Amino acid sequence: MELEELKDIWNKSNKGFHLKGESELAGMLKGNSRSIIDKLKRNVWFELIVTIVAGVGLLVYAMTLPTGALKWTTVSILVLFVAYSFYYVKKLSLLRRFDPGHHDVRSSLESLIGSLSAYVNFYKRSYTLLYPVYFGLGVLFGGLETGSSRFYQLFTDTKALLLLSGSAIVFFFITTWFADWYLRKLYGNHIAKLKDVLRELNSGEM
Amino acid sequence: MTRDEKKFIELINEHQGLIHKVCFMYEQDSEARNDLFQEITLQLWKSFHTFRGDSKISTWMYRIALNTAISGYRKQTRNVKTEDLREIHFNISDYHHGEHEDDLHKLQVAIRQLSEVERAMIMMALEEIPYEEIAETIGITQNNVRVRMNRIREKLRKIMSKEPWS
Repeated sequence: MELEELKDIWNKSNKGFHLKGESELAGMLKGNSRSIIDKLKRNVWFELIVTIVAGVGLLVYAMTLPTGALKWTTVSILVLFVAYSFYYVKKLSLLRRFDPGHHDVRSSLESLIGSLSAYVNFYKRSYTLLYPVYFGLGVLFGGLETGSSRFYQLFTDTKALLLLSGSAIVFFFITTWFADWYLRKLYGNHIAKLKDVLRELNSGEM
Repeated sequence: MTRDEKKFIELINEHQGLIHKVCFMYEQDSEARNDLFQEITLQLWKSFHTFRGDSKISTWMYRIALNTAISGYRKQTRNVKTEDLREIHFNISDYHHGEHEDDLHKLQVAIRQLSEVERAMIMMALEEIPYEEIAETIGITQNNVRVRMNRIREKLRKIMSKEPWS
């Protein structure tokens, strides 16, 4: 079948679309984008705002506390919140790299795969670093709760040390496995689909 | 409505057939097509302020519409199985007036069996877009466009001659 024949058939569809009115089009401009990058940006902005608001609330609360375990616990959580704020800003800057308006389909695919992969890798690196911090803080606060003398005693008891190391390893593996599974579920299929399309586009290029 | 919004809506009004066709190529049910239409319109609006007329307006629109349909947009899971294309009843009356046109129906079903990139290329070719512009929009060489178009035409011919049409 020749292309001209196909064009003749195709042209029959030209007049049949239900065209949208100006008010409907104007309404569309006020909607929220469902593109993967825009959705991620919205989520990160939400997390950043919640972190900042919770951080300010916690700071005000910490200032009312007398010196002691609770105050230092609050301060260490605040330090984590500051780290998280930088983490969200970095995530946003990774997502801002993608701009579908100025690239052809192939460059856009390369750029999107690059942005999403960088985002996912950054996410993975962050939790690899943050989970041991959470664990350390958990142990420290548990120790402070039970009393400092018993806490120091823990480090001289081989059995307790083994138990602590064992639970650290289990905690690390379970949390990283869960985060990997979650990321794969959220973005893995989409990135794989994009890579397939890019592979197809690259297959004929010398 | 601002002056920019008015200008943009006039532009979309003039070229909305192009967006409808992209939606029709990439989505099967009318709800999904409407969602994609809105997404493409939003992406065009976001890029409208930076469009300086370096390329033709149709090239710019195809580029954004296809980028949105192929890569930037995550489809909602709906109860339509793509492998059962023969079983799907296409609501052709949504798209053209009057009686069902068999050849057009065959062509549409055949096109939906192509890959996403092939669909983009055949659609632009059917819309009389020159190979140079197709190459620019997709990001491949003109020679590659020519080779792929021959393959796509052959594929369509095979599908359209083999498919048991009810």
